[in-house]
Amino acid sequence: MNDIAPTRFKWVGTRPIRPDGVPKVTGRAMYGADFATAGTLYGKVLRSPHAHARIRSIDTSKAAALPGVKAVVTAEDFPDHKFEYVGPERVAQNFWHMTRNVMAREKALYEGHAVAAVAAISRSVAEEAASLIAIDYEVLPHVIDVDEAMKPDAPLLFEDMITRGIEPAPTKPSNIAKRVEFNLGDVEAGFAEADEIVEKEFKTAAVHQAYIEPHACVARFDADGQAEIWASSQGHFVIRALTAKLLNMPVGDIRVTPAEIGGGFGGKTIVYLEPVATLLAKKSGRPVKIVMSRDEVFKASGPTSGSSMWVKIGVKRDGTIIAAKGEFKFQAGAFPGSPVMNACLCAFAPYNIPHQHTIGYDVVCNRPKSAAYRAPGSPISAFGVESVLDILAKKIGMDPLQLRLKNAARAGTPMIFGPKLGHGGYAETLEALVNHPAYKTPLGPNQGRGVASGYWFNGGGESSASVQVNEDGTVIIATGSPDIGGSRASMALMAAETLGIDYNQIRSIVADTSSVGYTHVTGGSRVTFATGMAVVEASKKVVDELRGRAAMIWDVDVEGVIWEDGQAKPASSNVGDFAPMPFKELAAKKALTGGPITAAASVNAGGMAPGFSTQFCDVEVDPETGKVTILRFVAAQDVGTAIHPSYVEGQIQGGVAQGIGWALNEEYIYDRNGRLDNAGFLDYRVPVASDMPMIEPILVEVPNPAHPYGAKGVGEVNIVPPMAAIANAIDSAIHRRLTELPMSPPKVRAALDAGQAD
Amino acid sequence: MSARVQFTTGFSRRYTGGVREFTVEAKNLRGVIKAMDRLYPGLGERLEEETTVAIDGAIHETAYFQPIREGCEIFFIPKLEGG
Repeated sequence: MNDIAPTRFKWVGTRPIRPDGVPKVTGRAMYGADFATAGTLYGKVLRSPHAHARIRSIDTSKAAALPGVKAVVTAEDFPDHKFEYVGPERVAQNFWHMTRNVMAREKALYEGHAVAAVAAISRSVAEEAASLIAIDYEVLPHVIDVDEAMKPDAPLLFEDMITRGIEPAPTKPSNIAKRVEFNLGDVEAGFAEADEIVEKEFKTAAVHQAYIEPHACVARFDADGQAEIWASSQGHFVIRALTAKLLNMPVGDIRVTPAEIGGGFGGKTIVYLEPVATLLAKKSGRPVKIVMSRDEVFKASGPTSGSSMWVKIGVKRDGTIIAAKGEFKFQAGAFPGSPVMNACLCAFAPYNIPHQHTIGYDVVCNRPKSAAYRAPGSPISAFGVESVLDILAKKIGMDPLQLRLKNAARAGTPMIFGPKLGHGGYAETLEALVNHPAYKTPLGPNQGRGVASGYWFNGGGESSASVQVNEDGTVIIATGSPDIGGSRASMALMAAETLGIDYNQIRSIVADTSSVGYTHVTGGSRVTFATGMAVVEASKKVVDELRGRAAMIWDVDVEGVIWEDGQAKPASSNVGDFAPMPFKELAAKKALTGGPITAAASVNAGGMAPGFSTQFCDVEVDPETGKVTILRFVAAQDVGTAIHPSYVEGQIQGGVAQGIGWALNEEYIYDRNGRLDNAGFLDYRVPVASDMPMIEPILVEVPNPAHPYGAKGVGEVNIVPPMAAIANAIDSAIHRRLTELPMSPPKVRAALDAGQAD
Repeated sequence: MSARVQFTTGFSRRYTGGVREFTVEAKNLRGVIKAMDRLYPGLGERLEEETTVAIDGAIHETAYFQPIREGCEIFFIPKLEGG
C-alpha cells in the first residue's frame, strides 16, 4: 500500500533536542499570563454562585463609581446573535448560545457562569469592584445528572428547546438538545445469530482537561477600531474568528498573537475571556489582562462530558462478533454540543462487525459547557464497548487480544458512518502486544491484566506555512499552529529533510494571525499531518527557487539543475562541469540572483489516516482499601511515520496518564445546590508521579501514503483505551466488574462488599 | 468519470427524501457537488458546509479540487472535531 521506508530519511525519525526546551526550563517562555504592556488594566469576571437562576437585574453603579475602575461590562454590552446553528452538524455553532456562555443574559445556567466583568488599575480594585455589583437572582431548580436531566419532569434549562434529530419533532420541550443515530446492517438479525450476548450499563464522570496553565489573555482596542489580542490557545485564528463574530467586528480588525501554551488537550479551542477583555479594552481605552484562577478554570471552562450508556454485543462461539448496539447519553453542559456523535461513530470502529446500531443523545444540564478533550467522545463509548468485549472474551474462553485480532477492522472494512476503512494499522497494534514478552508474565494475588483498544479519526484541513532563507544559510519556518505537542521540532525536521540541510540551521516559530496564512486549530491530531504538508510544500518551493538561482549562476536551464543533499548539482555531465553549490552559498548570493529567498504554502490537507491504539495494563487491588495500583502499562499505537519519535512517545505516555486519572480518580463532584465541591487540584485528583508506572510506548509504524513522510496523527487515540483496560484488569484481579468511573477506592471497596464475584 | 455517491441515513433523511445512493458523472468533487445540487437544489451548500468526504475510504475535507476516479465510492459524512 505504501513504499515509504522510514530508514531512508536523514532527519525524519531522529530525536533532536526540543527547540522550546531552554526557554521553558529557564522560566523565560511567555505564557498567556506573562504578557504585559504599558497601562494594562486588570480584568475580573464576576460569576454566578447559583447552578440555575434567572437574572432579574444587574446594578453595576457602585462598581463603576469605585475609584480605579475603568470599565464594567455585562451581557447588555455584547451584541446579541440570531438563534441558528451554523456550520456542520457535529461542530455546528450557535452564536446565540456562545454569546450567552461568554456572558449570561436571561439566566445563569451553572455555578461559575460569567455574569459581569470589570477592568481596574489593580487586581484588588477589580476584585472589590466585582463584589460591588448587585445582581437580583431568582434561584431555579437545577439538574446535574444526565439521566435526571432527560426525565420529563426535569427542570428545563431552555423552556423552548425542542429535540433536534427526531421526526416528527417532539411537541414538548426538554433538555435533550439532539438525537443522532447510525446503522450498519440489521442489528436485530445479527443478535439472532449470536451464541453469547452481553449487555450492560455504564456511567462516566465529567473530567477536566486539567491543563496546568489557566486561560489568560491581554486585549487592546485602539481608537481606530483595530484590536490586538495576546492569548494562550490551541488556535489563534479561531480566537480571532470567534471574537470578531461575537463582537460584530471585521476579522481583519483583530490581530491575535499566540502565547506559549501550558497544555490544552482540546479545552483551548474556544473563547471565554478574549471577547470580554476586548470589550473592556474598548470601553476603557486601555489594554486589559484577564487570567482565570484555578477555581474558575474548573467551574467555567469546559470539562468533557460525563455520560450514561448501554452497550450490547453478540458473538459466535468461535469469537466472531456478529452484532453490536450502543445507546449513549452525554452531558453537554449548559449549552448543546457534547461529543456524542463522535462516540457513536467511534464506538465499534476498531472492529469488522456486520451489524451495528448506535444512538446518541446530547443533553443540557447545569454544568459548564463541555469542551473538546483528546479524541472527544471516543474514550467514553470505548469504556462501555471494550468492557463488554472483555466480558465476552472471558465467557467464551478466548484471549482478549485474540478476540480483537479475529475481528480487527482492516482496509476495506465497512464503517458505521458509511465508507470503508481506508487504512490498516489496527491489527498491527494487536500483534505488537501479542508478541510482547510482558503479556505472558504470571501475576500474583489480587493482580490482574486488562486489554482494550481504541479508534480515532485524526484530522487534516487548512494550514499555512512560510519558509525564509537567511543570508547565512539559516532558515526560519513560520506556521500558524500553536505548538502543544512538539510541532516546532517536527516542522523543522520535515523542512530539513526536504531542503537537505542540517536541522540545527532551522528555527521554527508560530506566527501571529497577520503574519502567516489561515491555519485551523491545533487539535484533532492534525498538525504534523496538515501543517507538515504546508511546510513540505513551502520547502519544495524554496528548493525550486534555489535550483533556479543556481541555473542563473551557471547560465544553464533550470531543468539542468537537480537538488541533492542540500546542494544544487548539474543534472548530468551534459549540463556542464560545475562544482555542487551548497545551500549556504546560494543563500549568500540572494541579492545577486534575485533578492530574498522565501516561499509560502497553504493546504487543505486530505487523506488523513485514522489512529488505532491497543493497550494492556497490570494492576494490583488492595482488598483492604480498594486502592488500585497500576503495575505496568504497555501502549501500542499506529503512528504512521514517527517524525520525532520522542514526542510521539510523549504523546502516548501523556494520553495514558490522563486516561489513568479518568479511570481511577478524576470526577466533578457537586453538592446538593449544584455547586462544584472540588474545584482545585487538592480535591480534583489528577495522577501524580507516584501513581504512575513506567508507561511503555510501542510505536507501530504503518506510514500514511497521503503524507510526504508518512505521518499520521498521534495525539489523541492513546487516551481511548485506558479506562476500559484498567476496568478489565480490575475484573481479572478481583472478579468484580466496575461499570462506573472513576473506579476510586470507595467504589472498588463497595464492589468487593457487594454480591457475588462474576 | 462515473462515481457512486452515498450519504448517511440521517443526512439523506434530511435532504434527499431518504435516498442514500446516487451515480454521478464528474471530474472532481466540485462536479459531484454541482451534480447533487442539480438533483436537490440547495444540497450543494449543505454538502460544502456540513460534511467531510471519504473517497474510496480516504478521508478528506470537502474541497472542490479533490479528483474523482472512474468507479470510485464517495461518502459524505458528518464533519468532525478533535481535541
